[in-house]
Amino acid sequence: MKQPTFVPVGVSGGIGPFRSNWKPLFKQLLVWLSPFVVFGVFLLFYHVNPLRLYGSMVQSTFGDLYGLGEVLLKATPFILTGLAAALPAKAGLVNVGGEGQLAIGALFATGSAVFLLERFPAWLGIPIMLLAGALGGALWGMLIAALKVKGRLNETITSVLLNYVAGYTVAFFVHGILKDPESFNWPYSPEIAWTLRLPIFDGTRLHVGFIIAIVLAIVVWYVLAKTRLGFRIRVLGSNRHAAERAGMNVNRTYFWVLVAAGALAGIAGMIEISGIEGRLRPTTGVNYGYFGFLAAMLAWNHPLKLLGTSFLLGMISVAGNTLEIGSGLPASSATILMGLVLLFILGGRRRAKR
Amino acid sequence: MITADILTGAIRSGTSVMLASQGELLSERAGVINLGTEGSVLAGALGAFATTVWTGSPWLGALAGGVCGLLLSAIHAFLVISRGANQLATGLTIMFLGIGATSFLGRDFVSEQIVGFNPVAIPVLSDIPFLGDILFNHDPLTYLSVLLVPCLWYVLFRTRIGVILRSAGEREEVLFASGINPKLVRYLAVLAGGFLAGVGGAQLSLAFTHSWVENMAQGRGVVAVALVIFASWLPSRAMLGAYLFGAAQALQLTVQQQGLGISPFFLFMVPYVLTLVALLIVERRKHSNTPEALSRVLAGEGGG
Repeated sequence: MKQPTFVPVGVSGGIGPFRSNWKPLFKQLLVWLSPFVVFGVFLLFYHVNPLRLYGSMVQSTFGDLYGLGEVLLKATPFILTGLAAALPAKAGLVNVGGEGQLAIGALFATGSAVFLLERFPAWLGIPIMLLAGALGGALWGMLIAALKVKGRLNETITSVLLNYVAGYTVAFFVHGILKDPESFNWPYSPEIAWTLRLPIFDGTRLHVGFIIAIVLAIVVWYVLAKTRLGFRIRVLGSNRHAAERAGMNVNRTYFWVLVAAGALAGIAGMIEISGIEGRLRPTTGVNYGYFGFLAAMLAWNHPLKLLGTSFLLGMISVAGNTLEIGSGLPASSATILMGLVLLFILGGRRRAKR
Repeated sequence: MITADILTGAIRSGTSVMLASQGELLSERAGVINLGTEGSVLAGALGAFATTVWTGSPWLGALAGGVCGLLLSAIHAFLVISRGANQLATGLTIMFLGIGATSFLGRDFVSEQIVGFNPVAIPVLSDIPFLGDILFNHDPLTYLSVLLVPCLWYVLFRTRIGVILRSAGEREEVLFASGINPKLVRYLAVLAGGFLAGVGGAQLSLAFTHSWVENMAQGRGVVAVALVIFASWLPSRAMLGAYLFGAAQALQLTVQQQGLGISPFFLFMVPYVLTLVALLIVERRKHSNTPEALSRVLAGEGGG
């Protein structure tokens, strides 16, 4: 991303302290409201009152503890796959591999849970399962990284292609050696041991994975904003040639940033299994990688702002379910709203400077 | 027999990718990479299918498919060319919007049935043993798509229009100097690309599957984008690459029917892995025809 960003310690495009903030604020507001207006018009065609929908969206989010828990639950994987997009973006890479990395992470986590950790106590089993998920995601990220560094292939295209391969890999295992023997013909893995399930907050379905995601977001932010490593990554992202001339090993940075991104998305996969689903299905976490990418874009790839945008996308996802139950519109209508939000944000930005 | 099946299938299932990649080639030659091609293919597939259901005419359907693909690519063109948005991110968003919008709008069409395009055997030529069946027994859109390739090559490399289009992707200053607006050229190239991707989608739903299924493009648009790079921006090579992808698809179907005990999921992966391998091989040989404006985008500078 070349656009000037609101990084706490800005290498790229610092914001002057004396600029009037009113006009940009108004513009921001317009950019954020427009997609909801457009989507509202779209809803009117289907005889759904948009104001009532948006009202019930807010209501179901902040109305009770359970609703809030549902939104946070949905936001959790978006935070992690969002980090998997935001971290490489800071180094100037467009990584869309979160989708596949989440899938492989979930696969590794389930595999380790079913074949290895059955009898482990929770305090040991859950961390190992988490590491397995991270490892799976990291390996998938490494594939993209190797193609980038050794094969000099653009990471955007390879990561999208590999997402399809990852999906089929998961399908291969849940139809094969990871299939639940008691499932008749349904393709899913056996249920993991209850000791390996993440603890849940009372009165909701929200699990500890949410805390893990927030902690990781803060860690990524800290590394990017406060450490020498993070500084190097941001220098590389804002001016590759400067980084090269300063004697940085560009390829090595690219490689490890992509691997770390994979690990983050892999953890999202583990959390989906251990926190919510309890078993691996071919549909586990489908589209979460793309949602995370969108969340990261909305947050200008800022790890802490990402928490907010993930929350917003979580709200829209939950609203998608409300739409389906309440007005018979399919859940996919929520993805239209998300796409619109993003298009307006992308188009509303100041022009990238050459 | 099996080889003939696979080769016929290569063309039949490769055509949609081929049309999309020719379109993408136009837009990339003008300096705009459009990952939204995936969305355009889907929009084309649904638009064509719906129109055919309503009017009964697959030709009107194909046209409508092209227009749907064009409309989606128009969003990309506006954001990228006029607003200077990041090309790769915008393309992905369009892809995403395309998947969402088509699965939403298409849910009433999932159970519909159409006649669509059927293979038309070309007299005399289709009687040639072995080759006749493979090459001369296809749907009309496939024949047209094959004719398109030399035309595209001619326009790109032998006409003034082609020079203008290519300079938009190489050095827009040159166009400025000769009084042509490079933005306009890019707009037209992206729109034409979207139209072709839409027609590719139409071939998918009207001639290949004769049905509409949610997210039926299955990454064909993304593969098309990758193939253009594999083809080092040459129409004939993009055609070759698309048929290679089609062959992998056909191989998968054939092997499944033969019941050789290979997991179908491995076979599903083959086309994507093959595309990656093809990209790797080409990247090893250094090539210099990357349009200059594009190389900036691919190197991670976003561009606009």
